[in-house]
Amino acid sequence: MRLRVAHLFVAALVLVSMPAGAHHSFVMFDTTKQVTLTGSVSSFEWTNPHTYIEIDVPEEAGNVKHWSIELGSPSILRNSGWKHDTLKPGDKVTLIINPLKNGNPGGFLTYANLPDGRKLGNGPGREPK
Amino acid sequence: MKAWSAVVFGLSIAALVRAQSPGPGTQSAPDLAGVWSPSRLRGAGAPPPPTQLLLKPGYKERYEARRAQEREANARGEQLAATTSLCEPYGMPGMMQVATYPMEVIQTPRQVTIITEAFSEVRRIYLGKAQLAPEDVDPGYYGRSAGHWEGDTLIVDTIGIKETVRGYQGMPHSAKMRVSERIRRTGPQALQDQITIDDPVVLEKPVVYTLAYKLTPNYEMVEFVCDNNREYIDEKGVVRLKLRDK
Repeated sequence: MRLRVAHLFVAALVLVSMPAGAHHSFVMFDTTKQVTLTGSVSSFEWTNPHTYIEIDVPEEAGNVKHWSIELGSPSILRNSGWKHDTLKPGDKVTLIINPLKNGNPGGFLTYANLPDGRKLGNGPGREPK
Repeated sequence: MKAWSAVVFGLSIAALVRAQSPGPGTQSAPDLAGVWSPSRLRGAGAPPPPTQLLLKPGYKERYEARRAQEREANARGEQLAATTSLCEPYGMPGMMQVATYPMEVIQTPRQVTIITEAFSEVRRIYLGKAQLAPEDVDPGYYGRSAGHWEGDTLIVDTIGIKETVRGYQGMPHSAKMRVSERIRRTGPQALQDQITIDDPVVLEKPVVYTLAYKLTPNYEMVEFVCDNNREYIDEKGVVRLKLRDK
């Protein structure tokens, strides 16, 4: 627990002291909320400035809701254990995300539970729990 | 006899050090080559804090009003558009440290080349060449950089940065902005770049800040081509994320 608090503290320092953020800030995402999405990957886009997971999530009513989930850039993700072929269409995954504040079906990944049992984070301060 | 030995030994060491000290454009210049990542060291070895950003009247009010708008937008959960939202490069001096992204320094006797990972930006610092007159430099993201060695330090002078390139902490700047750098190794694995921004039109006095880096051996730079930018700017100047429906 003490270690986790220390990690958060370090992450906060890193964020505060960055002279320039990459590409955009994350204020559009609600970091106070976590949503768990379990579904089927429709595409995994290993691209800049961000990587994306497109995912179809079955809902209780029987319909399927599509979500676009943003991740860091490939450079950042490589340090978290990701590769260009970590996911492929049809893979069943569970994603823990911070949703968009405007309520649209999009979000920023916190960490992912992969089909092979691994959990991968999304860069500094977003390690799997 | 002992004293003489000590003096001879001392002189020999001094001669050795002098022989290894760098001269302008020589092979014995300090070696800055390698991949360097931003370092967030605190305490001993950390760079000094930046000096205060003091803008001249007119520029100051507009800058503060814009910062206030940005804060209000952030409080609403929105980000106002910045040039980087649409994948424009940072340019100088912002490119010298972007989040956690590393930069690669390639050094030859006549040129130091810096390639950053974020946005794959490139700047060339010409050694042993005079700086051009301001009117002879086409305004651009990186301007023109002329450098020379002073002891262990690479001194770089950069002019010709386009006025639309976002400045330090979002500051405005004129065509007269001059960026001066003192780049040196501060340890076997450490590098610092002391950056001075002078702009007689916009700044009351130059602003000085120092960036620190750590060596990242064996790192292979990752390509960064911005071909899947899903952010866009709406009619209110707010950054939005394009979503897909499948």
